[in-house]
Amino acid sequence: MRANFIFSEVWIGLRRNLTMTIAVIITVAVGMAMLGVGLMINSQVGLMKGYWDDKVEISVFLCKKGTAMPACNGKAITPAQRTALEAHIKGTPGVKQVWFEDEATAYENFKDSYSTNKALVDATRVEDLPQSFRVSLQDPGNYQSVIQAVTGRPGVAQVLDQRQLIAPFFSLLDTLAFAALTVAIVLVLAAALLIGNTVRLSAFNRRRETGIMRLVGASNLYIQLPFIMEGVIAGLVGGVFAAVILIMAKVFLFDEVVRFFGDVTAVLSWNDLAQTITFTMIIGVVICILASFVTLRRYLRV
Amino acid sequence: MIHFDNVTKVYANQNRPALDHVSVDVDKGEFVFLVGPSGSGKSTFLRLILKEERPNSGAIHVAGKDLARLSNFKVPHLRRRIGCVFQDFRLLPNKNVYENVAFALEVIGKPRRFIRKVVPEVVELVGLEGKAHRMPDELSGGEQQRVAMARAFVNRPMILLADEPTGNIDPATSIGIMKVLDRINRTGTTVVMATHDAAIVDSMRKRVVELEDGKIVRDQSRGVYGQAY
Repeated sequence: MRANFIFSEVWIGLRRNLTMTIAVIITVAVGMAMLGVGLMINSQVGLMKGYWDDKVEISVFLCKKGTAMPACNGKAITPAQRTALEAHIKGTPGVKQVWFEDEATAYENFKDSYSTNKALVDATRVEDLPQSFRVSLQDPGNYQSVIQAVTGRPGVAQVLDQRQLIAPFFSLLDTLAFAALTVAIVLVLAAALLIGNTVRLSAFNRRRETGIMRLVGASNLYIQLPFIMEGVIAGLVGGVFAAVILIMAKVFLFDEVVRFFGDVTAVLSWNDLAQTITFTMIIGVVICILASFVTLRRYLRV
Repeated sequence: MIHFDNVTKVYANQNRPALDHVSVDVDKGEFVFLVGPSGSGKSTFLRLILKEERPNSGAIHVAGKDLARLSNFKVPHLRRRIGCVFQDFRLLPNKNVYENVAFALEVIGKPRRFIRKVVPEVVELVGLEGKAHRMPDELSGGEQQRVAMARAFVNRPMILLADEPTGNIDPATSIGIMKVLDRINRTGTTVVMATHDAAIVDSMRKRVVELEDGKIVRDQSRGVYGQAY
């Protein structure tokens, strides 16, 4: 009886304010989708950083005769310097492992990386590639101090952290996540105001009913629940649309980007997506409830 | 049943009190006319009983409850024991007679079986048998007021407040309305009726409380509308 009554009231309210209801649904859907995308970018960045952290190593390129690097002075590294350098790197705190890569190995790796660019591979000779020490780190976040410790040692041409190569990509992702979250906050605010307006219209449309309900002693909950439910239903429908948008974003955007970078282990799991969707839905519904409730307190004297 | 003790009510932005040190006792089962010119405080008196307004000073007891100590949360329960009828009927235009009366029970969560049983009884009590499925705009003013009375009485309140119930109704029809109010009063319900209608007050010979500028100027047990000389 009670549920029946409340749902028929809710249905009447939603139908009477159809345009406002649609506006609420769209705003909530886009807002929640933005929030979800922001969160997904964040966890994607986390995943990819983890992937790169495992792989990341510092390359210490060694001088060879004719190296254009000013640190080398055009002279090749001597065997004594090389031994001293290896000992120095091994002694640096935070270093996990050091191994030596000679020209031949470097050439093999080079050929693998640029297998699609035959002209480049053909033009490159084994002697063109430098020798290097490859250094893996205990804590990949701590690469700066290791780089400092090695740079400028005799015979070192250049120290490269692979992370520096991908840093711009991560900062782009961070910017995108920030933008998405900012848009989400603005839209959530807009949604809250729209819901407030819808509820106010509903309350005005139904002032006769609510007046009588008050008079015959209906409880506050009973009077307010239909209005709050209107907000909740609009929020839920918006949330469902947001979920669809997020699923499409994962399949057509995130997974594609990750595939482009070639590391399938960094693909967002469906479980992560489900968590994001649940979270955005809860946020959406909570905002709808709050907005309805606050408006009701102003426009529906009980 | 209703007990006003030295009650004063001043509305915000007004210096003249709407009710000025009013003390009244209405016993269970009484029928009381509240008379006086417009603005004399009759409606304020009724609104205070419903706790729609709070007095600035003085104490009000309704059905044994001190309204000042009644939490907002419990006000709906107070109102369930008080029925209300107004000059403008306040029916829902998109519901028929039966639905209008049933609405009062639905919104306080009464079971459907109970509603099916009591609504026809009350519709018959107010003299609308056979018209349960009419819409309000198909009824005369008097019939609409009967629907409003059925709605006010369907939950068997202890008190029925009527604010000029015959104000929009011609004198001949008003007699019928008063008969229904009298019938409700005879079931033991206390009735307080604010009115301008001298003929009705004179014919009923019930207790009359007269207000003027927020003060009680007369309280007669078998009174008439005009001053008793």
